[in-house]
Amino acid sequence: MIINKKNVMLLLCFAILITGCKSIKNIDIIDIDTKKETTFIAMDTVMTLTIYGKDETLTKIKELITNLESKLSVTNEKSEIYNINKTKNATVSKETVNLVVQALSLCERTNGNLDISVYPILKEWGFTTGKYQIPSKSTIESKARYVNYKNIICDMANNTIILENNMEIDLGSVAKGYTGDCVVELLKSENVMSALLNLGGNIQALGHKPDGSMWKIGIQNPFHNEEYMGTLKIADEAVVTSGSYERYFVVDGTVYCHIIDPTTGMSIQNGLTSVTIVGESGIICDGLSTALFVMGLEEAIEFWKESNDFEAIFITEDGKVTITEGLIERFSLLETTTKINQEMEIIYRE
Amino acid sequence: MNNLFSITHSITQITDLFSRKNQKKHNPIKTTAWIIVIGFIFVFSCIAIVYNTYFRETGTIAYIYQDGICIYSIDLSTVTESKSFVITGEQGNNTILIEEGKICISEADCPDQVCVRSGWLTNSVAPIVCLPHKLVISLVSEDNTNTSLELDGVAK
Repeated sequence: MIINKKNVMLLLCFAILITGCKSIKNIDIIDIDTKKETTFIAMDTVMTLTIYGKDETLTKIKELITNLESKLSVTNEKSEIYNINKTKNATVSKETVNLVVQALSLCERTNGNLDISVYPILKEWGFTTGKYQIPSKSTIESKARYVNYKNIICDMANNTIILENNMEIDLGSVAKGYTGDCVVELLKSENVMSALLNLGGNIQALGHKPDGSMWKIGIQNPFHNEEYMGTLKIADEAVVTSGSYERYFVVDGTVYCHIIDPTTGMSIQNGLTSVTIVGESGIICDGLSTALFVMGLEEAIEFWKESNDFEAIFITEDGKVTITEGLIERFSLLETTTKINQEMEIIYRE
Repeated sequence: MNNLFSITHSITQITDLFSRKNQKKHNPIKTTAWIIVIGFIFVFSCIAIVYNTYFRETGTIAYIYQDGICIYSIDLSTVTESKSFVITGEQGNNTILIEEGKICISEADCPDQVCVRSGWLTNSVAPIVCLPHKLVISLVSEDNTNTSLELDGVAK
């Protein structure tokens, strides 16, 4: 074949014909064929990771999560948290100290509505073992006396954490969120531009979907475990829901959920049934979802008005949905869902 | 359809180019050969488009993992009558029930019974999990009209 202009043009035309023409919308080109997905059990929950990248990256993420779990598990006798609770004074890894510092700042920010030292009370209720029971008033009072995050001393210079006697901590309320943040950091360092993490119901997205659109996330209907009550579009954000429907037990018609008020030691019954927090930081969303549930709707709304790093969706026991103004464009209520009131209330900052 | 249009458009352009070239050199055999090649690619593209649009597999496949290893994969779209079977693991037993397009754990001897309470699994968004027995059932739906509203995940 003679190499001339026409032949080269023809070859080019054929190349286009054979490979097909892909429309490119955004500047960052992500190859959808690099989609990798894995599901595994870690941190007492199921994790599903979807990334557009390499298999090695998935392996690295799993290693990261396993490593964090081995340090943060409250029940594993070899974990650093177990060691802190046992010895009350322990030198731990940088990651654990980092997490405790961030958790304590959330406890402070929420004025103790989140408290990582509530663990001894949680144990009395049986929420850690599944053997549920209502503890006696005197038991709760005796345990609640020692619940106070302010008595945790965190020495960052020496990586040491010191507790008072009778005190025990559990990072369960922030560990998954922190893990999400760590995984996102790892993904960024591996040049992954698009990923969706589902860490046991905690959703965290890196970037947009490869086609440039936002990730579409369903929000669990608290009144029906096979339904979603609405959908939310996110990008580069985390979505964390705390609900009284996750772990609970019923005695004489009263529902006792696994979220405990750190000041009274009682299972929360304030009319809320689900709180969803949307924001850039996984750990903040995770911690605040619990704290705002403890606060109750009115106080939680006030808290949101004074903050600027998250948005929220509240669902009360009567099926009423309240959302914050930043979600108006991105959240849509599903029409046919069990018990959910179709008239949604929107909260503005004024 | 846009794709189809652009293909036909490019083909017309190429054939035009060739007929002009051959008017000069008077080589009708070469022209015919080219037209046959282009025609072949055209027909092939059409078949591929039609196949992709109408004959794509619409199966719903359930994958059952035990301790991270896939031990069963079941095409739920081919299930005609309900069937059940027991999966025995180190920690205990789970009875799996399958029907057309759906799967559930009907019985289990785990302490928390969360897997049984999660009910039927009909979409690919959230898997059924039995934590005590390290059993995970997830669905992969290739159906275009799946029931998960094309969600990427569910926050709970």
